[in-house]
Amino acid sequence: MLSDNAAANQTRSKGRPRNSESAAASLVDVLNLVRLGHATTRQELERVGEYGRAIVADRLATLKDLRLVHESATGIATGGRAPRLVQFASDRARLIVVTLDQSAVGVGLADLHGQLISEHHEIIEITDQTATVDRICALINWMMTRQADAPDLWGISIAVPGPVLTDPDSLYLLETPDFLPNWDRSGLVETLTQRFQAPVWMRSNVETMTMGELHGGAGIGQQSMLFVKIGQRIGAGLVSNGHTYHGAAGAVGLIGHLPVTFDGSAGSLDAMAGAEMIKTRGFAAAQSGESAHLADTLARAGEISAIDVCQAAQVGDEVSAEIVAQSGKLIGGVVATLANMLNPQLIVLAGSIAQTNDILLASIRETVYGASHPLVTRDLRILRSQMSSSAALLGAAKTAAEALFDPTFLKDWITLGSPCLNPAFLQAQASLDANKPQSDEGPPPPPEI
Amino acid sequence: MPVVGLGPHGERASPPERVTLLPQDIADARAKNLRVAIVMHTLESDWSRHLVQGVVGQLGECGAIVIDVVDCQFSAEAQIAALDRLRGEKPDAIISLPVDNTTVTQAHLAVSAAGIKLVLIDNAPTGMLPGKDYASLVSADNYGLGKIAAQLLSDHLPADAAVGLLAYDADFFASNEREIAFSQWMEINRPDVAVKTARFPSIDSAGNAAIRLIDAEADIAGLFVVWDTPCVEVIKAVSPRSKALPISTVDLGQDVTTNLAEGGSVIGIAGQRPFQQGEAVAKTTITALLNRPCPDWVALPGLSVTRSNVIESYQYVWRKPAPRDILIGLDVLRSS
Repeated sequence: MLSDNAAANQTRSKGRPRNSESAAASLVDVLNLVRLGHATTRQELERVGEYGRAIVADRLATLKDLRLVHESATGIATGGRAPRLVQFASDRARLIVVTLDQSAVGVGLADLHGQLISEHHEIIEITDQTATVDRICALINWMMTRQADAPDLWGISIAVPGPVLTDPDSLYLLETPDFLPNWDRSGLVETLTQRFQAPVWMRSNVETMTMGELHGGAGIGQQSMLFVKIGQRIGAGLVSNGHTYHGAAGAVGLIGHLPVTFDGSAGSLDAMAGAEMIKTRGFAAAQSGESAHLADTLARAGEISAIDVCQAAQVGDEVSAEIVAQSGKLIGGVVATLANMLNPQLIVLAGSIAQTNDILLASIRETVYGASHPLVTRDLRILRSQMSSSAALLGAAKTAAEALFDPTFLKDWITLGSPCLNPAFLQAQASLDANKPQSDEGPPPPPEI
Repeated sequence: MPVVGLGPHGERASPPERVTLLPQDIADARAKNLRVAIVMHTLESDWSRHLVQGVVGQLGECGAIVIDVVDCQFSAEAQIAALDRLRGEKPDAIISLPVDNTTVTQAHLAVSAAGIKLVLIDNAPTGMLPGKDYASLVSADNYGLGKIAAQLLSDHLPADAAVGLLAYDADFFASNEREIAFSQWMEINRPDVAVKTARFPSIDSAGNAAIRLIDAEADIAGLFVVWDTPCVEVIKAVSPRSKALPISTVDLGQDVTTNLAEGGSVIGIAGQRPFQQGEAVAKTTITALLNRPCPDWVALPGLSVTRSNVIESYQYVWRKPAPRDILIGLDVLRSS
């Protein structure tokens, strides 16, 4: 799959027969030049795309018929008549974006530029796969029916709490990858494809959050950034030369598996510093009465969550502060190793635990600055993400926009006017329908929310 | 009652105690001679008036002068004009309740860009981020309010009934949360009940929306209206036609509270705590102006109000004794 960067760099050589001037290929070129803002007028399309005036006029007429571009605005005159601006019709259709975490689900609506239009987040227990898939469908249905003119849906992009290993040559998914134990049997991708009849893409939460932070958060304009998500699992994402690093198989940043030790105990970073450790130690402190604050919370709520411990630490509970500081020191140690290796400009800490607590941030900062080479920390900034789960939604939207307009996929659907009409996609959908259990007659309607 | 919803970006709620002001904070704020403006979506509702009371009182305690309180009458144009004008006044902070999720975004971003601290109430336009584009969002747990309203109405619904959900036809965080939570509670706890949704674009049109819904869905046995002011319109429109239709809503406005106390069609209210929310807004504003870190989302849990606890709930929300007609309606005061 090509990134937007690769799509933009697809220029042709002069003097050779113009394969790219066959209708579909040059339509793809012209659309991506306009979409990515590399050409905003007909003159710029001729110059940047190296196309003749007639070709540009013809391709723009086709793209306008397909409602993928419009020329409704005028630019700034530079001597003569003001030129008409050629603009990408990002409202032509919508993208649905989903973020699934261990304890929350978020669903959003985005335009074809990958800009978020609307979003909703709620707490969910993802151990019940059927209920989770149904809930995602219900929220998508609500999100789509809230739109006034029932827009076309051109893709669904999902961020999930685990590495997503997929075939790099596949244009979209047709079956659910095993991103968490047994989730390949959940039917998530298959259900979404059948119910909403749109292509589905999936990446890890950490990767999409890194992408979201790069495009909409603290990472805007950054060339090198280390992104660390702290929750039940601890993962990292990397931005290098302004682009997210995907790795050989999409399994980047699984730092939660690294072994660490603390006070004579050893275990993985997930087990020793993640949300489960904070919750377990907080519960013990509440039960023993070591922390009066947590004991009070336990008496009222009947349980203690990692968030409760973080909030107790924030309002001055010493025991909770010590638990959170332990987490910070261990995570800081691993992050310092990464920082010394990668020399990032910026480290962003995110996830529910980082979000609710300044003590964790302080503890990680102290450890990283203390354990890193002075050249590494000289201009290094360590920040808490302000985007929360929106980072994953925004990153998922960017993933979908890139995949949808990847020249390899785009050439297969552009003349049809919709990716959902692509024959290969329709065939794949038919085969999904054929493989459904016999007792299940026809696709069920999306549940009403 | 714990907060059960998440913030507009999936944030976990912080309790109002996170923005507690110590005597030294108040002294520091007083020394700054702060000026603050308030831009509300409306000042017509009792909820708005109570919230502004809470804000103004707490700011006064901190020596901060309120230079303007604007009523935008749910108009995006009015809000944009107000924010542009107030920006020129160079206050230290603006407290705003954004009227929608898209059209007022740029006007709010311009406030932050001008170096004015921005604290939001109840709604964060899409794309604006806490700590970057605004200091903090302070709201009720609107998801929890939707669940409370569903639970209250459920007790009055027969088996296999339908329920009408009168939702606001605008992309607005607070009302979206209530709508989604109400439906989800019914789906989980009353799978026999079908939820039928109708949307109203303005308060005036809520009554007609309810009538159309009832006409189209004959088996509707109850209604939920996402807040009290349109609920008053719904009661006016529906009462002559469906005397026995139970209704639940959000906010202890005067009219719906009286209706509840008198044993009218309103059978329960998910109450917000606007005065306390206003105080939390003011404390958050002062915290931001002292350049101390603010939580991304401060949320206050809701109250479940029925006829049995309406008097004490009224006192709690309105900060004054319940009116005589409510007391008489509940037989705790003789009419003479």
